[in-house]
Amino acid sequence: MLEIKNLQASVADKQIINNLDLKINPGEVHAIMGPNGAGKSTLSYALTGRDGYEISQGSATLDGEDLLEMEVEERATAGLFLAFQYPVEIPGVSNMEFLKASVDAQRAARSLEKYSSSEFLKVAKAACKQVNLPLSFLKRGVNEGFSGGEKKRNEIMQMILLQPKLAILDESDSGLDIDALKVVADGINSQRDGKRSFLVITHYQRLLDYIKPDFVHVLADGKIVKSGGPELALELEAHGYSWLESYDRNAEDESE
Amino acid sequence: MSSWLADTITQAQTIDDWLSPKRAQSLALLEATNWPNRKTEAWRYTPVNKIERATFKQTSTLQDIATHIPNLDAIDLVFVDGIFDAAASSKTFPAGLTINQLADGKDHDWALESFKNTKPDRHFFGLINDTLATQGCIIDVANDTAIEQPIRILQSFQQGSQSHTRILMRLGKRSSACVIEQLQGDSLSLNTSFAEYQIADQAKLEHYRLALQCSEAISIGGSHFSLGEKADLDSNLVGFGSQLSRVDIDIIHAGESAHSQLNVIYLLDGKELFDLHSAIEHTKPHGTSEQNVRCIVADHANAIFNGRIHIHRNAQKILAEMNNRNLLMSDDAQINTKPELEIYADDVRCAHGATIAEIDEKAMYYLQSRGISRSEAQVMLSFGFINELVDMMNNQAIAQWLRPILRQRFADMEIR
Ligand SMILES: Nc1ncnc2c1ncn2[C@@H]1O[C@H](COP(=O)(O)OP(=O)(O)OP(=O)(O)O)[C@@H](O)[C@H]1O
Ligand SMILES: [Mg+2]
Repeated sequence: MLEIKNLQASVADKQIINNLDLKINPGEVHAIMGPNGAGKSTLSYALTGRDGYEISQGSATLDGEDLLEMEVEERATAGLFLAFQYPVEIPGVSNMEFLKASVDAQRAARSLEKYSSSEFLKVAKAACKQVNLPLSFLKRGVNEGFSGGEKKRNEIMQMILLQPKLAILDESDSGLDIDALKVVADGINSQRDGKRSFLVITHYQRLLDYIKPDFVHVLADGKIVKSGGPELALELEAHGYSWLESYDRNAEDESE
Repeated sequence: MSSWLADTITQAQTIDDWLSPKRAQSLALLEATNWPNRKTEAWRYTPVNKIERATFKQTSTLQDIATHIPNLDAIDLVFVDGIFDAAASSKTFPAGLTINQLADGKDHDWALESFKNTKPDRHFFGLINDTLATQGCIIDVANDTAIEQPIRILQSFQQGSQSHTRILMRLGKRSSACVIEQLQGDSLSLNTSFAEYQIADQAKLEHYRLALQCSEAISIGGSHFSLGEKADLDSNLVGFGSQLSRVDIDIIHAGESAHSQLNVIYLLDGKELFDLHSAIEHTKPHGTSEQNVRCIVADHANAIFNGRIHIHRNAQKILAEMNNRNLLMSDDAQINTKPELEIYADDVRCAHGATIAEIDEKAMYYLQSRGISRSEAQVMLSFGFINELVDMMNNQAIAQWLRPILRQRFADMEIR
């Protein structure tokens, strides 16, 4: 599904992602954990093609297609989705209009007919209910004045509507109350069909209790420094990232 | 002197009615004023000589002008070519609301006092309107009365017409009302349409001026407001621009702690011109005012915004804000914007900004990351920039009616 090889990415002339490798097979759920500033969001921006994120080396493919050659919207219609850590507020553009335009674009790319307005309204209402947002949120400006948790739920709603092949969820669990955490986790689980894959960026084990990952990776200083099964998340929770520093030192010693 | 003005003055001299003493004052001022040209600061970018060159020829065929606003249950006052259309107008009014024709103003002392009371004499075409307006209406809202039904003053203009209308409105203490001034008709015609509003202490006015005349129309007018203590004005102006469209807005905070909000949208295409001069006068302490002026200008169109904020001496603790954001869609489009701040009090907060709006790259990335193409996202964001002010409109029927009209107009601008 997603294959990243030896990726180097920089922002504002600062190299953030260093020689990163990652392979995600269809149907797999991978979690990425790592300290603040490690480069987790940078990785998601680089993969989705945000302006200003320069790739100096390496490759990234989605189902064998070169992501790095594509425009932002082409990556999206190819099946890549990012749930933003900080969703953007767009006053004046209604959530409904935004969702319809997004779904229209996805359906066009998949050679499906556009939904009529009334068909779409049904689909959108269902998704809205699924993430437990009042229907009035469809009318409001995109994320305009939404609380932190409401923004995250709006991201999950978009994922449900867009049905991506690979969804990157950048801290979709932070800032959520206990009920909302469950809503978000259920939203993610509802999309698991054995084919779709997920890259879940999180700081907390508790989300992973709901979404059982197949693999857990630790990202530090722009590269994956350790990978393991779900037990790695528990280990991190117990020991914290200081344990990683010693890991780092060992790695450096080994390379010398 | 211009021949149009000479004719106008001659015509004005023949009018004899209850407003004659006031008209005479304006006539004297007019005779002493030069016909505006490009050296006249208030008319620098707006070529008035178009009036001179135009020949107004009335045709007998009536045009079909779509003025109906669905879901708006309004008290309608309809004027066609500046003449009251009683058949098309509402006949009964709720208690506390009195509406009369301008011609009947002689029976209402307050009307004579109000005439020329709020509108400053500096507006050249305001003086013309003073001398020539014999049609219009006078609207009186009693103290402590809330008029729920919006009052719509609908004016449509046919090919070749020339007309001058005046609205005088008084809102009594603690009363509230909503007034819609709707102007439509795209063929060559000339109208001056001025409205004066006196909003008494603690009264509240929600106001819309829908200046939707395009193409050949020549439309000049103004809405002028005087606010008493703790009065509240929520005014919205939508302008489409034509060969010559000019609106003057004056908001005079005559009482303490008044609040005014003015939101303005203009959307100009082709060779259209829309010229807005706004002036906010804070004469008493503790007032707040906010202006949001946004325009999108395409092709060879020309948007002019002159925004004046005048904070008088002793008008302390004022909060005045003026934001002007403009989106240029072509290299040949023009925006002439000029803030004028005159502040004579020291304990005030006055913020103003005029920017050429750029597409927000973060928002652009967000939309694209959902699969929306850059060009479509651009349209969504540009329209969103205007729609944000439509979203703020209190009257949902107007907002719902305007949205598709604005969207269509914007889509047409895109194509070029
Ligand atoms: N535009 C920029 N200019 C300079 N530095 C930047 C820029 N964008 C990101 N960085 C830096 O890149 C590093 C990685 O940031 P990133 O947002 O990817 O971290 P993160 O792992 O997502 O952290 P968190 O867990 O706090 O979300 C940080 O040190 C950040 O300051
Ligand atoms: Mg991050």
